[in-house]
Amino acid sequence: MRVWIGVLLLIFTSVLPVWAEPEEIERKGCRDCHRFSSKETQAVRGPDLFYAGDKFRENWLKEFLQSPTVIRKVGYITDPGFPSGKPEVGQPHSVLTEEESARVSTFLMTLHLPDFETGKVDDVPLSKGVRAQAKMLFERNFGCIACHEALNLVGKVRGGVSGPTLVNSGLRLKSDWIFHWLKTPEKFLSKGRMPVFDMGDETAIRITKYVLSIRTKQ
Amino acid sequence: MMNQLMILRKVAGIAKGFRILPEVTVLLVFVVLSGCGSESPTQQAKSPEMVPAIPNVPAPAADVSQVTEETRQVYQWYCTQCHGEEGHGNGVNAPHLVVPPRDHTKAGYLETRSDEQLFGAIKLGGLAVGRAPCMPAWGHTFDDKTIQSLVSYIRELCDCQAL
Repeated sequence: MRVWIGVLLLIFTSVLPVWAEPEEIERKGCRDCHRFSSKETQAVRGPDLFYAGDKFRENWLKEFLQSPTVIRKVGYITDPGFPSGKPEVGQPHSVLTEEESARVSTFLMTLHLPDFETGKVDDVPLSKGVRAQAKMLFERNFGCIACHEALNLVGKVRGGVSGPTLVNSGLRLKSDWIFHWLKTPEKFLSKGRMPVFDMGDETAIRITKYVLSIRTKQ
Repeated sequence: MMNQLMILRKVAGIAKGFRILPEVTVLLVFVVLSGCGSESPTQQAKSPEMVPAIPNVPAPAADVSQVTEETRQVYQWYCTQCHGEEGHGNGVNAPHLVVPPRDHTKAGYLETRSDEQLFGAIKLGGLAVGRAPCMPAWGHTFDDKTIQSLVSYIRELCDCQAL
């Protein structure tokens, strides 16, 4: 009997970290800015994380939590300093150790929207010609460059700063999330500052692949 | 988009037929591809799937709608990113754009624009009305009444009417 109890305890403690919230979330005050469930009602001062597993790439999360970089130069959309470009909240981001980062990242990857559809964007990169068309869509037809940083034809960063930078965002974001964000942003955020577009699947896929290709490193 | 591809093909063809220097071809291709950087009337892409859904009807007449507190909040939440908190065209994105955002307090230019033209620019975006493509289309974000009230708010900011 004791052996069985021991085995059950071992299984329980080894499985627990995969789905249970790590203590760092409370200790580091992550809830001061982020929501980890759509049912949480505190003021949103940073990006929602209750769909982090749909949105982020785990390797990027692990690295970011240990060495945070600025994704939003003027702060999150609810930051009081956003309109003037002088963010007041959340910068610099908390820093975690390698072990803490691994635990938190593993937990975040378990957070999903119940109806999130994957497999909308394949892994085939855009050809050079189609990428040029997609760049036109991104910059001219939809005007994304007004608010998001990207790279120009010689690899120099250009573009607005009110939206998150899209340089190297392919290392940060999952393709299916970009696709669904373009198509139905209201599923993730009730009121963003980005225009809502009536975008066909083919267009959304091309822009998603273009965004993924905005890289200074591979 | 097809038009732009045709332009690229023509450029390539001209370069081949007339032995234009490769550097010139590259420059021409760059000019064709560069976006968000021209104040002159811009070419409208035609491919139905690849462009924002733009209704094939003229923009409705912009009634003079009341500017409400909601109008001001909409302007502050969305428009200030480029046009600035007081509409001076100095939003946080402004220093990073090739074409400066419109200063909504300057009557000189805005007097030359009708309410319908301002309505169309907000609803359909800059590219669709021959202006800077940096201005995205807001027609799927705001309803027509909200856009009409934004036009009225711009008139309030510039303290002007269409000539």
